[in-house]
Amino acid sequence: MKVRVIAATVMVLLLAGCSSAPARLAPSPAATPTATSAATPKPAPTAVIDVPVQSSELTAPVATVPPVRIRVPSVQIDIPVGPVGVGDDGLMEIPFDIRTAGWYQYGPAPESATGSTVITAHVDSFEQGLGPFAYLKELSAGAEVIVTAADGADYRYIVESVQNVEKKQLPLDQVFDRDGAPRLVLITCGGQFDENVLNYSDNIVVIANPA
Amino acid sequence: MRNKIVAGAAIGVFAAVGVAMPAQAISATTADLYVLHAVPDLPVDVYVNGALTLDDFQPGDLAGPLDLPAGVYTVAITAADAADDSAPAIGPIDLTLAAGTSYTAVAHLAEDGTPTATLFTNDLTTIPAGEGKLTVRHTAAAPAVDVLANGAAAFTNLTNPNEVKANLPVGTISAAVALTGTTEPVIGPADVAIAEGVNTIVYAWGSAEDGNLDLAIQTIGGLHSAPRGVDAGSAGFAADPDPGMIAWSIAGLAVLLAAAGFSVARARAGRRSN
Repeated sequence: MKVRVIAATVMVLLLAGCSSAPARLAPSPAATPTATSAATPKPAPTAVIDVPVQSSELTAPVATVPPVRIRVPSVQIDIPVGPVGVGDDGLMEIPFDIRTAGWYQYGPAPESATGSTVITAHVDSFEQGLGPFAYLKELSAGAEVIVTAADGADYRYIVESVQNVEKKQLPLDQVFDRDGAPRLVLITCGGQFDENVLNYSDNIVVIANPA
Repeated sequence: MRNKIVAGAAIGVFAAVGVAMPAQAISATTADLYVLHAVPDLPVDVYVNGALTLDDFQPGDLAGPLDLPAGVYTVAITAADAADDSAPAIGPIDLTLAAGTSYTAVAHLAEDGTPTATLFTNDLTTIPAGEGKLTVRHTAAAPAVDVLANGAAAFTNLTNPNEVKANLPVGTISAAVALTGTTEPVIGPADVAIAEGVNTIVYAWGSAEDGNLDLAIQTIGGLHSAPRGVDAGSAGFAADPDPGMIAWSIAGLAVLLAAAGFSVARARAGRRSN
């Protein structure tokens, strides 16, 4: 008997739910004043839609775990990685040491659910010679890349493509993508070298997907 | 065409990289509406166009975003658990929401302590790489204030219900609020993170008279932009052979060969230099 009553009540609630106001709010037709003063007491109404509510208290930001090492066994790359940002010239910062790679710290990290982890290193310098990232252009599709994060976790990626892109045509919003599928993007320089401005014409871009 | 795929497959130059999605859910026809409750000690219900939308909404809580078709919305704020919106504590007020725009409607105290509501427009403009945006809104029952960042006045003479904003380098600032012309904080100091590509909106709320002034924080992300480029080399040791130089050497060789009477070589050189 008791069970039956509860069931009936649930039915009523379900029916009430079905017939209640539409769940989507719409603009008022012409901002006409709504009917006022309900003389008869009514039960407390329930909200028509479920709106996410959170506290506005000050909270400490959640830090991402940075990558600290990158290995590409097929071309003998095994170098440390440090966090970098943006220089005063608006270009991505890159470690002076050509045997250290820089991770774009404002973008995704290997643990991120979405977007591209971007790691770059200088291809060369007059004082230091040719750097390990000079061998990126030798990579084949299917090559393995291992990125180690500061917590010791290894993230494995498989190279999808190696591209030679003229710098002024590099789609920066896509390279530094934060919302798409998780990927690893390795960048260095290549193409022709302009002796007058000491600058390469192209970027070498490696795109790798989680293994 | 110098761009080429050295290894692997990609359709188009960068087909392999995901297409960036818009930062906000808002579209050409809808607006985002957040609602902040900044009236101390007064749980409320919020009615939109007569329909209960936020039930038992607590002071200090932030609701939203609601993705709403552009238009005019009538908002009434009642004491919590009122039977309907016939006797609002605040409003009813009409909010005009434009498409593609983000708003925060704040229920708060006016400078004289009476409950009121203000509709702020949230800045969704793109922020330069390496920076975040700080917006400060005065929604407290208090006179004009100065906002101190790391002990120095960053914004001065901010009055209720107005806002100030600036792009700042990423980092943590020690933020405090003092009455204009003074340096003794009435709120804070508190550490506020300036995150990259994020509009961090700080509200001063509560009442100076009642001694319950406080900070509320709202963040809107996805406003980042990419660095201007990647210059990752400076010596030329990794350069490809210059096709211009190769052409010249071939042409030079051809001249020598032609001079020696090798007509076949001359014909070939003529084709290459075209």
